[in-house]
Amino acid sequence: MANITKKVSWSSRGDESGGGERTPLLNGSEEVRYTRQFSGDGGMFHIGRLSTVDLEEDMTSDEDSVRGCPKEIPHNEKLLSLKYESLDYDNSENQLFLEEERRMSFLGFKCLEISRWVICGLIGFLTGLIACCIDIAVENLAGVKYFVVKQNIEKFTEVGGLSISLILWAVLNSAFVMVGAVIVAFFEPGAAGSGIPQIKCYLNGVKIPRVVRLKTLVVKVCGVICSVAGGLAVGKEGPMIHSGAVVAAGVSQGRSTSLKKDFKIFEYFRRDTEKRDFVSAGAAAGVSAAFGAPVGGVLFSLEEGASFWNQMLTWRIFFASMISTFTLNFFLSIYNKKPGDLSSPGLINFGRFESDSVAYNLYEIPLFIVMGAVGGLLGALFNILNYWLTIFRIRYVHRPCLQVMEAMLVAAVTATVSFAMIYFSNDCQPLGPDQSEDYPLQLFCADGEYNSMATAFFNTPERSVRSLFHNPPGSYNPLTLSLFTLTYFFLACWTYGLTVSAGVFIPSLLIGAAWGRLFGILLASITPNGSIWADPGKYALIGAAAQLGGIVRMTLSLTVIMVEATGNVTYGLPIMLVLLTAKIVGDYFVEGLYDIHIKLQSVPFLHLEAPATSHWLTAREVMGAPVTCFNRIEKVGTIVDVLSNTSTNHNGFPVVVPVAASDDMGKICGLILRSQLIVLLKHKVFVELARSRLTQRKLQLKDFRDAYPRFPPIQSIHVSQDERECMMDLTEFMNPTPYTVPQETSLPRVFKLFRALGLRHLVVVDSENRVVGLVTRKDLARYHMGKHGLEEMQLAQT
Amino acid sequence: MFIVQVGALLIALIYYANAQTSVVAVNTTIPGSELSASGLRQLAAAVVPQSPVFHPSLRSQFSLNLLSAFPEDLEVSDYCVALLAIFGQRYSTYVNCLVSAARPVKVCQNCYGTYGNLMEIYKNISDQMGPGNVSCRDSLLRSDRLMLVFLLYSNMEDIWTASECNRCVSLRDHSLTNDTLYFMETLNQSLSCFEKYQKQGNHSELCTECKATYRGLNELYSRMEKNHTLCIDIEDSDLVLFQMNMTRILWSKDFNCSFPRAETVPVIAVSSFMLFLPIIFYLSSFLHSEQKKRKLIHPKRAKSNPSFINIQDKFS
Repeated sequence: MANITKKVSWSSRGDESGGGERTPLLNGSEEVRYTRQFSGDGGMFHIGRLSTVDLEEDMTSDEDSVRGCPKEIPHNEKLLSLKYESLDYDNSENQLFLEEERRMSFLGFKCLEISRWVICGLIGFLTGLIACCIDIAVENLAGVKYFVVKQNIEKFTEVGGLSISLILWAVLNSAFVMVGAVIVAFFEPGAAGSGIPQIKCYLNGVKIPRVVRLKTLVVKVCGVICSVAGGLAVGKEGPMIHSGAVVAAGVSQGRSTSLKKDFKIFEYFRRDTEKRDFVSAGAAAGVSAAFGAPVGGVLFSLEEGASFWNQMLTWRIFFASMISTFTLNFFLSIYNKKPGDLSSPGLINFGRFESDSVAYNLYEIPLFIVMGAVGGLLGALFNILNYWLTIFRIRYVHRPCLQVMEAMLVAAVTATVSFAMIYFSNDCQPLGPDQSEDYPLQLFCADGEYNSMATAFFNTPERSVRSLFHNPPGSYNPLTLSLFTLTYFFLACWTYGLTVSAGVFIPSLLIGAAWGRLFGILLASITPNGSIWADPGKYALIGAAAQLGGIVRMTLSLTVIMVEATGNVTYGLPIMLVLLTAKIVGDYFVEGLYDIHIKLQSVPFLHLEAPATSHWLTAREVMGAPVTCFNRIEKVGTIVDVLSNTSTNHNGFPVVVPVAASDDMGKICGLILRSQLIVLLKHKVFVELARSRLTQRKLQLKDFRDAYPRFPPIQSIHVSQDERECMMDLTEFMNPTPYTVPQETSLPRVFKLFRALGLRHLVVVDSENRVVGLVTRKDLARYHMGKHGLEEMQLAQT
Repeated sequence: MFIVQVGALLIALIYYANAQTSVVAVNTTIPGSELSASGLRQLAAAVVPQSPVFHPSLRSQFSLNLLSAFPEDLEVSDYCVALLAIFGQRYSTYVNCLVSAARPVKVCQNCYGTYGNLMEIYKNISDQMGPGNVSCRDSLLRSDRLMLVFLLYSNMEDIWTASECNRCVSLRDHSLTNDTLYFMETLNQSLSCFEKYQKQGNHSELCTECKATYRGLNELYSRMEKNHTLCIDIEDSDLVLFQMNMTRILWSKDFNCSFPRAETVPVIAVSSFMLFLPIIFYLSSFLHSEQKKRKLIHPKRAKSNPSFINIQDKFS
């Protein structure tokens, strides 16, 4: 691991000489003249508030490199990618919208409300069903695999040739993982990873391409089954959340663009605002199915997508969560041949903690806090290692076939390491009647005993967690546990970020449970007669919470999820304390894993608040200018040219009224979106045509919705030479009341507007209401607190 | 009116039974026909004012009333007393048997007969009607808070269930099941084999010679474990008795006949080969793969205008 890390840093240094990797601020532009101007600006910033180093030097080296074509730099975390766009949460209140609202009856609104509930129920039902399918498929596939390997090992223990079993295990693992990696790498790269970062971004208001498609769902589900059955150090919970979100996005639209099937229902919900609400319900349903934690699911949605919610929405989300848990339990009860028994919860079942082992005392609280700190430290280490690894992967392992190979190698090595651990372990434990090991391996142990290392490694991670929680004291010896923790830590760290769909929840829990149990055992051995209160299972649970908190850094929702998954409210306080400590300690070093991955994806993500010490930045410095505007009645040719210009891929255009006797910008009177313009061009809503063909149907809001969410590109719309001379009247279609701010507005103020209203474009105007600039998400997201104070990220094309 | 009176009587009887049988154990039956009309009226008078709220504190006074009314009426029948005596006898036999079979555990083998007897008599008490349609169930089992007879029996039943004796003993045929008998036979075979070679003092020979019988025994045991046909007698380990666990310990630890860890070299070789692969992979992808570059884009920004310069001045 350290090896790779060194290489990455070396390589980036090597490239720096060519391009200057971390140019701190507002570096240059297309032209040298421009750059000079900006070096002036840079100087201003330097003097003003920022303490960036070597600014002048960078600028001079820039001038050399900038002379050529656009600069290229290796991928790093301080970039914003152009491929991500904002979602349109802000409702465009144009005349069409007002008309539709006028036409809609009171009953119509009631029906809408009811259909929202119906959709939430459907989301919950389908999510639960998917969870159930995943669970059953994984159980059976893994069962077959472990059965075959076990038979083989037993056979070869007797006659010799265990290396063949090792190869068999490695090959089986690789085969499963290969299938999973191939479908992800070649068919839908968006399904890689846990999906939680993507959903987080979506709820934040970033449109991640292809993230809520049906194809993604299919690949995700198949991929996660393959990767868990393939024995990777992964869990199936993160992907469940993503699946729930995709189900929600699909169901609420009442159609599938991939299958080209339109059910003609729920047409009203075909816009970003409504879809976002349902996606948050879907994510909640996913969490609730994954952990059997309906309340935890709701809180997860609120925590991750917290900028937009209200009571009614929360209530509906809760409904979806409940239905999802219920559905999962119902179908699992049928599968387990106990139809109607609804009490078996969740995909991951931590098992019940019996009442005598749950007791904890005041003097244990400091111990819990120490464990939280350890969890935070280990989590930070995990995240840092994974960060370097991910950078390496993005830079060097980007071809799909390489990605598949990497995943297969990881699978093979996981099997090898596990096998070696089991082979060389001397820890034999008697097989009690109360332990329900599915695949006990005897190997070189005496008859009637089993290899203790094998219960941890020769099992699906989820079952290993359960046995760490619940096996009676003495089922593991400390050496086994410490070796297991160490190995699994690196395996899990190596695995996360592969091109397979897989989550990080279960591996984290497993690492934490292992060292937590170790902690409990050591505690029991150093206290004279303390083995009564130092129940290893209890400490395993606390360790698991600490480790998970240290890696993902979720707070409220994670506490509730853990409490709900263990079905034990008594542990609420310790778990909360542990998560609190883990987060504080971990945040001191590095961000949470999901945030790191969001950053590495170059997503323009808006955090809860604007970076500190940014009040001196005003909208004037932040905004993009000059702005491409349209007149209220604009020539079609101009519109087509602007839209076709690939270098400026704008999405929102202020509509202005020209000011007489000035070539300056006109006064603002509205805002129109690219998608709207494309629909208008497609339907040829030209002034001249309207005059000649009086019978032409008037464009309705429905036409815009039908094109949603995949508006055709401008290239696919044919506009003849004659039509280019026509005029288009935008009055009816533009949003007549866009949000505007004066030039002097500070960055945090602009930020708050963006975050709270879910804006996509914010027009900056001067004192006479003339457009001077436009603030978009990327303009705000590029500022962040770095080591040297406020830093600015660069835009990159991906 | 008569119906009301009879109803009141019945209620009174139930309360009476609850209150009294634990205190008095007299040998009488109460056929309903023997009750006189005056008695009924008296009873109704006693019950009706009190019945809506029938406090436990009132009970003693109430039962005293009744006692004076029927001095020796409510008793346990002869038949039931006889049953109880038999129950006691069999119970003590069974307990004696259990105690004597506790170490080494042979509770199933030795005591299934006595347990069968106990179960029979308990069945008689709880289910069957005696002569004159008398059921002893209520008078013996349910008439007081302690329910001693029931408690005693259920304790024994728990022991029987915990030992899973049902799996190796069929109570209906009063014998051990065929599986168990077969197992005992195989076990004896193995043990005699052990004994034979142990005398020669050569364990390696023992390991090869007895392997077949021991394997057979072990497999049989695993199969029975899986089918849930194991009871405590077979499972239990004991140093004196040659039972399964002990046999296994003998085999694995004393004779050291487990499999040796013999193939360390090939396993290490294969493992290190596997571990070597990713290093090659990452090195080669680092050296040969083209590094992914990002094209930087320069956003349009406001050019400096007069007011902008003002701000600069302000800062400097």
